[in-house]
Amino acid sequence: MRRSILLNTLTASLTVFLSTTAILHAAPSGVLKIAVGADPETFDPHFNDLPTGNTVDLHVLEGLFRLDAENNVIKELATDYSYSDDGKVFTVKIEKGRKFSNGDLLDAQAVAASFNRLLDPKVASIYRGLYSSIQRVTAPDEETVQFHTAEPNGHILLLLASTTATIVNVSAIEKMGSEYSRKPVGSGPYMVESFVGGERYRLVPNPNYQGRFPAKLEAIEFVVVPEDGSRMALIETGEVDIVERVPPESIAAIDALDQASVMKPPSMFSINMEIVLRGAMENPKVREALNLAVDRKGMVEGILGGLGTPSVTMPGPGTQNELRVTFDPIPYDPQRAKALLKEAGYGPGDLSLTMVCPNGRYIKDAMVCQALQGSFQAIGINATAKVVDRGTWSEIIGRKPDQREDNMGMVGRATAGMDFTLYRLFKTGVGANTTGYSSPRVDKLLAEGRATTDVKKQKEIYAEIQKQIWEDRPFVFLWYQTQAVGVSDRVKGFQVQPNETMQFDKISLQ
Amino acid sequence: MFVFKRMIAAIPTLVIVSLLVFWFVDLIPGDPARIQAGPMATPEEVEVIRERMGLNLPALTRYAHFLEGIVNPEVAVSLRTGRPISIEISERLPNTLIIAIGGLVVGVLLGTIAGLASALCQGTWTDTLITAITLAGISMPIYWLGLLCIWLFAVHLGWLPAAGAQTWAHFILPILAVATRPAAMFSRLVTASLLEVIGKDYLDTARSKGLSEVQVLLRHALRNSLVASVSVAGVQFGAMLGGSVVTETVFGIPGVGRMLVDAVTRADYPVIQYAILMFAFFFVMINLLTDIATQWLDPRTRQSAGAA
Repeated sequence: MRRSILLNTLTASLTVFLSTTAILHAAPSGVLKIAVGADPETFDPHFNDLPTGNTVDLHVLEGLFRLDAENNVIKELATDYSYSDDGKVFTVKIEKGRKFSNGDLLDAQAVAASFNRLLDPKVASIYRGLYSSIQRVTAPDEETVQFHTAEPNGHILLLLASTTATIVNVSAIEKMGSEYSRKPVGSGPYMVESFVGGERYRLVPNPNYQGRFPAKLEAIEFVVVPEDGSRMALIETGEVDIVERVPPESIAAIDALDQASVMKPPSMFSINMEIVLRGAMENPKVREALNLAVDRKGMVEGILGGLGTPSVTMPGPGTQNELRVTFDPIPYDPQRAKALLKEAGYGPGDLSLTMVCPNGRYIKDAMVCQALQGSFQAIGINATAKVVDRGTWSEIIGRKPDQREDNMGMVGRATAGMDFTLYRLFKTGVGANTTGYSSPRVDKLLAEGRATTDVKKQKEIYAEIQKQIWEDRPFVFLWYQTQAVGVSDRVKGFQVQPNETMQFDKISLQ
Repeated sequence: MFVFKRMIAAIPTLVIVSLLVFWFVDLIPGDPARIQAGPMATPEEVEVIRERMGLNLPALTRYAHFLEGIVNPEVAVSLRTGRPISIEISERLPNTLIIAIGGLVVGVLLGTIAGLASALCQGTWTDTLITAITLAGISMPIYWLGLLCIWLFAVHLGWLPAAGAQTWAHFILPILAVATRPAAMFSRLVTASLLEVIGKDYLDTARSKGLSEVQVLLRHALRNSLVASVSVAGVQFGAMLGGSVVTETVFGIPGVGRMLVDAVTRADYPVIQYAILMFAFFFVMINLLTDIATQWLDPRTRQSAGAA
């Protein structure tokens, strides 16, 4: 009897041991096929501006930190970190003995070189401004990296967790030149095996990977199909396992398929009509009236096909959730809006406004613009909607407030953190503050929020800032976009971050 | 001599095109630096990117760089990728040409067969059916037709892949879609040409020599439509190159047309300029080849050219 129990125990232990070992060291298996709409012309994280490029950077490169599927910061290459007493030096310890996929050593020097490239004005990275609070990066020894800032910066951890801050192999860039942008050499679980511009790219496991998120798949193949209808056809025919950016009109068709359905993860994209605070728009009653005139729920259901959630604060979900606070949704009340306009001295037809919207940048943006025009006209405003191409739109919304001829522009904001988003948009006189918003109280709080490294204090400060901005109504707040991704039933464990970056840490194929 | 003269005449055309392309692209709304910097960038950050892109140089200097890029392709790089545009184009041009040439060949073949059938069966239901189909072919926008092909052959029947360019099978649907319009036009052209000569004496002479009806049609009657067909083929090929923008977008084919659309969206000026210049060069060459072929096929034009 005792022998039998012992034998059973041993057998069971062996089984558990073998299966655990098998799980831990399971060889990557299966080929995942994904159809994407946008053509990532570069994977260089210092120049890429597309979520499809972020997806590649997340898996081919590694950062000191990274974001998980809920946008929480987790360690990647970093083992430990600390702030100096004056808060101006942020020190990160990294794992020893790590290598890039080409065998080059990934030590603190390599990390510093990567960041110094990002900060180099000659390189002119499109993200240099985002990291401008960092003056220089040094490597006192092979496992210590130090970030030197002019002022204490309590938000540096989040900056370092973005795919922009993933570590590029600078010596490989020098050797490869512009080809590096297509086949970046990193230390992530995958590497780019092939890239056919405008058509497809393929990731395969990196045999030198030593980190905590090993490749689960034998290969990941991306095919670029910009046309929505053609891209949706690929999941209907089973040619791909995942299609990104499912348009509202295709959701029901994909959900009706036997082998696939639409996944709707939240998105950070906060879509608003940003008001140029000039003339009549400086009057809070007018701005409140504009906000009350919009039937957000109706537009989300009727135009966006449900791919949105009415705004409850300016920053979108996933923009540092620990610092984000929400408020009551803005009601749809055209009667009250008319009354407010009257109180402000504007009868029917007295007030005219022009709004600028892009075409094809956000979900159904042109249609939303037309609907907003109708909403504002319904409360007696002579509203004109101007739907323009992306080039014209980006030029108009980038102008300084005194150079703008329009009264509001549709813009979606989806940036890494609370400090960056709010400081750039609402600090008086900052170059990216294109609405002319100015509040001494908000300015003071923004400076305090940036300087403090105490999370509890940050929470209080950013709650105050968000409340003030919500009450001031510098925007006609609209909604947060919802992502729509068609996923085959054979795909398990697929995740998408709120910034639309796909994540394959837990993925498996059946 | 005629060919040489025509080639010399093409040079000023291309010079004028290069000027137009450069200056008109410069007028496109949108600032490439601002687009690349994104909506959160400050004017100072945009300025740094503009400087890297060389956009703050005087227009004449930029035009000189543009011309230099024609002679030395290594210096002409994309603002977005930093790669030489000649490489970007050479990677994508084969796809564009496969679809354009394939579409033209299939269109000519189908159109000629349909035209013959229509002429031989004048007044019958076959003729009516072919006329209806060709009218539909001429009228249908390629965008809609492409999606219809995907729905029918890929989604519904499952015979062919829906989009992409990985295998030869991926090119069948785009070639079929672009072949529709030339097929319809050739069908109408062949029918009209045949009906014009079908009762002529020289065909009776050919028949009296013992030639079969098919031989009479192919050797004598159809020859009448050759000159017009070559001209139409030239125009259609040019149109298909221009139309590649739509075809490549619908079928997810990485060709020069789609590259051009993406470049316009991203305000990647050098890519727009060189891609348009390349298309202009193709148009000039197609016109030249069409003229040479017409001269060769029709002795009357040869004589008039010689007289001139």
